[in-house]
Amino acid sequence: MSCNSENRLVAIVDDDDSVRGTLKELLRAAGFLSQTFESAEDFLGSGHRQDTACLITDIRMPGMSGLELQARLNAERCKIPTIFITAHGDEEMRFQALRAGAVEFLPKPFDDEVLIESVRAALER
Amino acid sequence: MNMDDSEKVKRAPGSARSIVRVYGLAVASVAVAFGLASALAYFHIPQTFGAFALSAIAVTFWYAGTKPGILAALLSSVVRDFLFDPRTSAESRLLFDLVFLVFALLMTQVLRDRNQLQLRVAERTAQLTELNENLKREITKHNQVEAELRLSEAYLAEAQRLSQTGSWAWSPPPGDIRYWSEECFRVQGFDPKGGQPSFEDFLQSVHPDDQARILGVIENAVREREEFEFDYRIIHPSGEIRDARSIGHPIVDATGGLVEYVGTIIDVTDRKHAEKERERLREAQADLAHVSRMTAMGELTASLAHEVNQPITAAVNGASTCVRWLTREVPDLGEAREAALGVIRNAKRAADIINRIRSISKKGESKRQLADVNELIREMIALLRSEAKRYSISVRTELDAGLPKVMADSVQVQQVLMNLIMNGIDAMKDVDRDREITIHSQWADSRMLMISVSDTGMGIPPQQAERIFDAFFTTKSHGIGMGLRISRSIVESHGGRLWAAGNSPRGASFHFTLPAPVEVGA
Repeated sequence: MSCNSENRLVAIVDDDDSVRGTLKELLRAAGFLSQTFESAEDFLGSGHRQDTACLITDIRMPGMSGLELQARLNAERCKIPTIFITAHGDEEMRFQALRAGAVEFLPKPFDDEVLIESVRAALER
Repeated sequence: MNMDDSEKVKRAPGSARSIVRVYGLAVASVAVAFGLASALAYFHIPQTFGAFALSAIAVTFWYAGTKPGILAALLSSVVRDFLFDPRTSAESRLLFDLVFLVFALLMTQVLRDRNQLQLRVAERTAQLTELNENLKREITKHNQVEAELRLSEAYLAEAQRLSQTGSWAWSPPPGDIRYWSEECFRVQGFDPKGGQPSFEDFLQSVHPDDQARILGVIENAVREREEFEFDYRIIHPSGEIRDARSIGHPIVDATGGLVEYVGTIIDVTDRKHAEKERERLREAQADLAHVSRMTAMGELTASLAHEVNQPITAAVNGASTCVRWLTREVPDLGEAREAALGVIRNAKRAADIINRIRSISKKGESKRQLADVNELIREMIALLRSEAKRYSISVRTELDAGLPKVMADSVQVQQVLMNLIMNGIDAMKDVDRDREITIHSQWADSRMLMISVSDTGMGIPPQQAERIFDAFFTTKSHGIGMGLRISRSIVESHGGRLWAAGNSPRGASFHFTLPAPVEVGA
């Protein structure tokens, strides 16, 4: 299965309600359309894979982790530019994510300018 | 004839021998009268038969009864008329016969009176004997009661000695101490040989620092006719200082006048020592519980930091959003306001979490108050959610919303929950299957609530089932092995029980109970 890159949707995957909600609002204020998902499984099952131009995902979540989601998408040759946000990211995790093609790896809480720039860059690809 | 014979006569009146005897007495007595009169006549003392005969009749009547008496009278007439004085005139004979007859009748009456008298004496004697018997019985009963009373007193004295509680009765000033039990002497350090002490003696044996105070308490109580109770120290003659407590109760008569005070003196020295020991033990346990709690919190640092980081991230996001709405060419104040409200909400959430962490970390006295166990469970899950998430463990609750609040130390109950949940997480870290912790709250029976924490981990090997509650028992590479031990002592100090059970098909369950508060009113 391959992914259509003709889209503008930003997908947000985080199990924390408030982080997810405020992130969507932040993107809206910056002029981006986004869709939120509670878990990696939710996202995969949603059918939004095709129209997602940028994926923002937490790493540690119940069920499938953000890194596993990235690996899964890579395996399915669905190269969505991915930004990781995490509260307990270490260097090893960061290295693993970037090696697998992540565009950014941001520790929570993050600078909105950096995130927005990364999203913009991802969408302009 | 003597009294013995007459009594025998009376006792066996019907027998042939006695008939011979009684009538024989009549014949013999008249014969003796005749003999004596004849002898006296020989010595020229005439006319004596009448007197002797009357004596013979009287003796016969008295000793042999009526019929032999009448026989004696007839015999006397016959003897006088035909043997003794056959020459007398018919008038004289008639006179003597009449005299004998009248005498016989008189004697009959005398005899009847005598018999009646005897009967009355017998009756009276019987009455007196009965009275005497009754008296003897009364005395026996009295002795028995007295012995029982003495035994009861001995038991009471023993009970007083064992409980170190003496009793007293005292008429308030200027009255005396009316009663002062054996144990009072011992507690107060008085010599029983010195006799009943006075109130002044009592006061003198009290520690000087306590005298004015207890005097005040007593005077106030006496004035108000109220009970009093006070603690004080006693200085024994040996110099030893003992702790005591006295309680006094006023006895008031029908008109409201104070009759006396009755009360107790209790030696509470040992009790106070034990109380202090218990207090020290409680403190040591609280210290240990705190150390254990801090150890557990230390293990949770990363998760707790994450838990706080989430709302902070959300708040920062909100603030960034707010700034973006405000710094647009045309600021959108409505959107900015919404975003700012979100910041407040999330900052508060972060503060709440920090407060929860702080309240469970703080070291304080055990405080029991009404607590909602379901709320305690939810709060603890909120703190441990990140930790569970870290190991991909889902946390499920089945809470009975109808449970009453319990009287408990919230921090301690949460410590138990934290311990059980973290044990469950530990048990599932290395398990490759569904990882789930279920927390259940329900009624155990009509008066106990039960909280259960079940996991789907590796379970408890049967040979370790009891050892897990031992101090310093641990299967973890970290931890001090005090968690379950402390949890059990916390639960038991609340009046509940903590135990472990295997789970089917896998995992372990820990259950603990807490007593429901007693219903007040309907």
